[in-house]
Amino acid sequence: MKYLYVYPEKCTGCRECSLACSLKKFGECNPKKAAITVIRDEFNRYEFPLVCFQCEDPVCLKFCHQNAYSTEDGVVVRDEDKCISCRLCAVLCPYNTITTMDGEIIKCDLCDGDPVCVKYCSTGAIQYLDETDELEKRRKEMAEKVLAISGK
Amino acid sequence: MLTRKLGIIDLSKGKVKITETSDSLKKAFLGGRGLNSHYLYKMLKKDVDPLSPSNVLIFGTGFLTGTLVPNSSRFNVSAKSPETGILGDANCGGYFAAELRYAGFDRLIILGKAKKPSYLYVSDGAIEIKNAKDYWGLDTTDVQLAFKKDLGQAEAAVCGVAGENLVRFACVRTGVKNAAGRCGLGAVMGSKNLKAVVAKGKQGIEIAHPEEMLETVEELKDYLMGSKITPILGSVGTPLLYEVSNAFGAIRTKNSQLNAWSDTLNADVVETYVEKMIGCSSCIVHCRHRNTLGGEGPEYTALGLLGANIGIENTAHVIELNNICNELGLDISSSGTILAWVFELYERGIIDKKMAGEKLRFGDFELAKDLLYKISRREGFGDILAESTRNVERFGEESKDYLIAVKGLPQSDPHDVRYMKAFALGIATASRGADHLRSRPTLEIFFKLPQEARDRIYGKGVPGDPTSYKAKEKTVYFSDNIFAAIDCLGVCKFICHGFNSPHFVDYTWMKKLIHATSGWKFKEREIEEVGKRVIDVERMFNNREGISRKDDTLPKRYFDEPMPLKIAKGHHIDRKEFDKMLSRYYKLRGWDNDGQVKKERVKELEASHEVPVCLP
Repeated sequence: MKYLYVYPEKCTGCRECSLACSLKKFGECNPKKAAITVIRDEFNRYEFPLVCFQCEDPVCLKFCHQNAYSTEDGVVVRDEDKCISCRLCAVLCPYNTITTMDGEIIKCDLCDGDPVCVKYCSTGAIQYLDETDELEKRRKEMAEKVLAISGK
Repeated sequence: MLTRKLGIIDLSKGKVKITETSDSLKKAFLGGRGLNSHYLYKMLKKDVDPLSPSNVLIFGTGFLTGTLVPNSSRFNVSAKSPETGILGDANCGGYFAAELRYAGFDRLIILGKAKKPSYLYVSDGAIEIKNAKDYWGLDTTDVQLAFKKDLGQAEAAVCGVAGENLVRFACVRTGVKNAAGRCGLGAVMGSKNLKAVVAKGKQGIEIAHPEEMLETVEELKDYLMGSKITPILGSVGTPLLYEVSNAFGAIRTKNSQLNAWSDTLNADVVETYVEKMIGCSSCIVHCRHRNTLGGEGPEYTALGLLGANIGIENTAHVIELNNICNELGLDISSSGTILAWVFELYERGIIDKKMAGEKLRFGDFELAKDLLYKISRREGFGDILAESTRNVERFGEESKDYLIAVKGLPQSDPHDVRYMKAFALGIATASRGADHLRSRPTLEIFFKLPQEARDRIYGKGVPGDPTSYKAKEKTVYFSDNIFAAIDCLGVCKFICHGFNSPHFVDYTWMKKLIHATSGWKFKEREIEEVGKRVIDVERMFNNREGISRKDDTLPKRYFDEPMPLKIAKGHHIDRKEFDKMLSRYYKLRGWDNDGQVKKERVKELEASHEVPVCLP
């Protein structure tokens, strides 16, 4: 199974990943309307690409009262027909990786196995790789870092 | 894409009007620098005092700013310059411009003067004039942190203490180091009691052909990343140029009394102070150094002008001076040039201790640091230095012989242009004064560039020898036009054809990017015409202020003193050859022999693009 892995130390903050995502999914360039977000603060000196971790035990899935979420081949997906846009998943996601805007719920679905964000990253700060024990360990570390930044 | 608005703000009346730029005007100038220059020409009258409420201050984003297009982060700040009295314009990266577009605006035109310290809050289609009482007096980082605390994740373009105190070379800053640095536009903000423009928005930029943009950008990104130059700029940044220039003997040193300086400012030393390289919005080059001394930089400009030019060898000291200029909101190019000028004048006895208040000397870090603070607060001798090149009147006519400036603007980059004749013509004719970012044909020093490549870019007849005057007007003409076009698009010059590379974004790439974004079909030639139009309108602005052939010249030293060191030894600019080159340049441009835009052209440009500006 392939997943997205992030390398914040390589992230320059440019947001090409978010712009590509918004362009592909919504036909517009809008880093705030994308399934991948770069948390950046040049004054406090950090850049961090934030994208759904495709959790093994996803909070979004567990608490969705419409059962709109399911896990398919390791990817947490949302059924748009079942979803009533209540935004509970976005509120509950501990990593803030579900974006809501203009009535849309935006969550990474790995672009059916060809994630557009990876193509436009010029430094390899997001990579789409076959999972290994080592990478999984890294993914968990990153998840913890996000929790530390977001203070949840 | 084409739905962003034009905001007109009259600070004197406290009124805001939201309108639009017509499609026909956008087709003529695209955006960014071009539209800014057009509006300035139309809205300002001759002889306006740049620090009076009558000056017009414009923040304008480029046609492609904030999109997926690589390096499309840029905007221009424009007004009549308080440093030079002619066209004032500065281009800037960072994240502000993209945010201004996400907030719904292409451009803000600011008139009048607020009664009390104010800032503009631009958010999702609305503009508010707000009280800046709590922000006035703060350094550029502190004020941006305060805005983030009070307004959330907003982006701000601000002036520092230097701008508040009307220092004639105060810059506009956004982020840690991005600056609309040149021409004293921070002082124009100060004169209007305007501390900042803060933008916050979530309106996406609609793209006419999303798939086409995704495909074109992917192709362009691979093309740019495949070049040897991109990874070097992304790991070393502009300090790369220091060692190259130093090897020639083309580094302005001690006010151009010398032309080479210490290896301690080489890129490999600078690298030891770099924590991480970061980028502006949409940037794939990422040339910004996050330094270990608390700021960002230094660029090549800072190494040259706050290092070699003022006689400082210590790398950490140069980085510290760089960080200080950024915090105070001072333009690094003018700061380093003016300090070096007065240090030499003191050595020569043209100014004395009575005027300076203390002994002035090259190579004194503490003195330089102290003077930068004093300039920003207009204290003591700093109050005099804050007047920049206007001090020729105070220091006397002889002082002018040692001033490295053109049209009142201190030279921007650290290149001593006596060796490279095209660079010399470029700074002599640039529309804002001595500046390399209008037309520097960097390829002049690409010795291995095959002649056929040179012919293809500039047209036939340009020799691969930087010391030759032959046909150099062609390189400046080409560069002037294409750099103006890329400034209109809001894309960084680092990926522009002919700036750092004989490849990169040329008119064909521009054509494709414009089409994917807007659906507009431009031909290559038509985009070049936009560039030419911008150059002509800027010249019309300057002609109206009295600029003519007599002003398209160089510092006296560049003509009369041969360079003393290294490969460049013995080189200077020959007055007669320069004059002939200048005439050829005017001819190519279609200007008359006095450097005036011809009447027919003025009429054409004035008639066909009427301004639909309705004042609030």
